[in-house]
Order: sequence, then C-alpha cells, then structure tokens
Amino acid sequence: MEEEYSIRKATLNDTDFLAEVIIGAEKSNSEKISLCTLFNIASDKIKDLIISMLNEEIEGCEFSISSFLILENKGEPVAAVGGWVEEMNDEPPSSVLRSNLIGFTFPKESILTLRSKATILDGLKIGREKLSLQIEYVYVREAYRNKKLADLLIQEHLKKALTEYPLLKKAQVQVFKNNLNAIKLYERNGFNISKIFRSENIEIFEHLPYNEKILMEKII
Amino acid sequence: MERNEIIERVKNILISVLNHNRFEMKDELSAPEVEGWDSLSHMAIISAIEEHFKVTFKLKELNKLKNMGTLIELIQSKL
Repeated sequence: MEEEYSIRKATLNDTDFLAEVIIGAEKSNSEKISLCTLFNIASDKIKDLIISMLNEEIEGCEFSISSFLILENKGEPVAAVGGWVEEMNDEPPSSVLRSNLIGFTFPKESILTLRSKATILDGLKIGREKLSLQIEYVYVREAYRNKKLADLLIQEHLKKALTEYPLLKKAQVQVFKNNLNAIKLYERNGFNISKIFRSENIEIFEHLPYNEKILMEKII
Repeated sequence: MERNEIIERVKNILISVLNHNRFEMKDELSAPEVEGWDSLSHMAIISAIEEHFKVTFKLKELNKLKNMGTLIELIQSKL
C-alpha cells in the first residue's frame, strides 16, 4: 500500500506517543532506560511520569512537547525527533529545566537515589551550547525503520530552527558510541564528531546503554 | 524569618549537598559559578530546601530563578 507521510508539530494530544518516543530513544540500542535505572523507577511506571512532565508544557528542553516534530503515515504517528534552540528567549539552560521537571514530577526518594549514583555519570556530562539547535530523542517505530524518515525530521528541524532563529550557527547532538545507526544518520545529515566523552566507572553499564558518548556538530 | 537567617540556612544546605564551602553567598551567585552545582545536585538542593523550610515550590517558580537572590526571595515569600 502507498505510504503518505506528513510532518507536523506535536501537541498535547501526542503525549502517549511522545512517551513511547522518549523511552524508545533512551534505550539507544540497549534495553536500559536511564530514567528508570538512575532513579530506581520501575519500567511500568516511567511512561506515566514522562507524560506528567510533558503535560507541564515547559518549553526549551527535551521534555517539551513544543520541541517535537512528528512524522505521520496517513494520520498515524510513526516517528518523532525532538529539537530546540538552547536558552532561546532567555530561558534557563535546558539542563535546569529538565532537572526542575524531574525534581517536580518524580518521587522524592528517586532523587535521593540519583544523588547516591551521581559520581557514576562523571565524564559523561556534556554541556549544551547556548543558541545552538539541540537534537534529542530520535525515534522511528520498528516497522518504519530503514526508510530514512528520521532524516526528514532532522532536516525539518533545521529548517524550522532557522526560520525561528535566523542567526543559528550550529546544531548539536549527543549519541552513545554503541549506536552506530544513529551516528550514520547524523553523519548523513552533515554532523561531524566533535568530541568523545568517556566514563571509566564500570557501574555505568548497569545504568546507561554505553560508557562513551559522542558530541556531534553541524555548522550551519 | 529574617533574610539573613534564610541565607545562612541555605548556605548550610549547599555545603551539605555539595560537600564543600568554596562559594560566597551573595545575591548574584548563580549555579554555574559554584563547583559541583550541576543538573543532578540542583535537584537535591531544591529538594533539601523544600524539606528544610517546609515549603513547596511550583515548577514555574523554579524555572524563573536567576540567582541566589531570587531563590532567597522565593523562600521568604513562602514563610
């Protein structure tokens, strides 16, 4: 059957699909969801917590509905990519917005759990450059993979960001080194490896998909 | 509660969460200037402040915080 793709901005009606997107992208070629492993949240509870964060409608971070573009096939959402311009309109850094959302939504004991694991993440914390386009949470439903749909969404994000912020100079994406398909996707779309970050703590493998993260950049 | 007392208590919370006192409490102080005050410790600091002062912050209030001065004002407004 012929496919009819269209791209649109996500809305409040998409929270269920966006939770699927975030969970799917978090796994990054593994079965680990860092929002579960780092915060000691059961995997059957994380979807509701993600939906709660999305429902707060905070703009400018990876849990912002407004960050996502959705690709549909005949009205059915099949892929999505998040993207926002960092600290645009004098917003706080996305890391602060994300922390506030998690701190506000997650159980208090899960925040304490994360504190006890904080050093595990040393070496993998990557800053986001102010006024750069940040691409995060790239996801395509399994039946629609290998059709270059994520490419369409990334290109649309670049176009949209340039319309909203014509002075945009750079796009950045962070990817785990084991996710070779994602690295190829970004390279195809003009991103180059800028820096590799590594954690020497072997406990990292209990919590994250891999112990190395790559910062990729595209000059616009 | 007097503003100076709130500042002193917040300072002690920061020392307790960050495990150091290498910062100067002033209104202009912002998180990036303080060693160890990153996105992870930020959650613990806010949570500890809420617990200590028995206050609850709204998400929009937290997202408007610019520096230590605005944090102290926010706490004071809730006591």
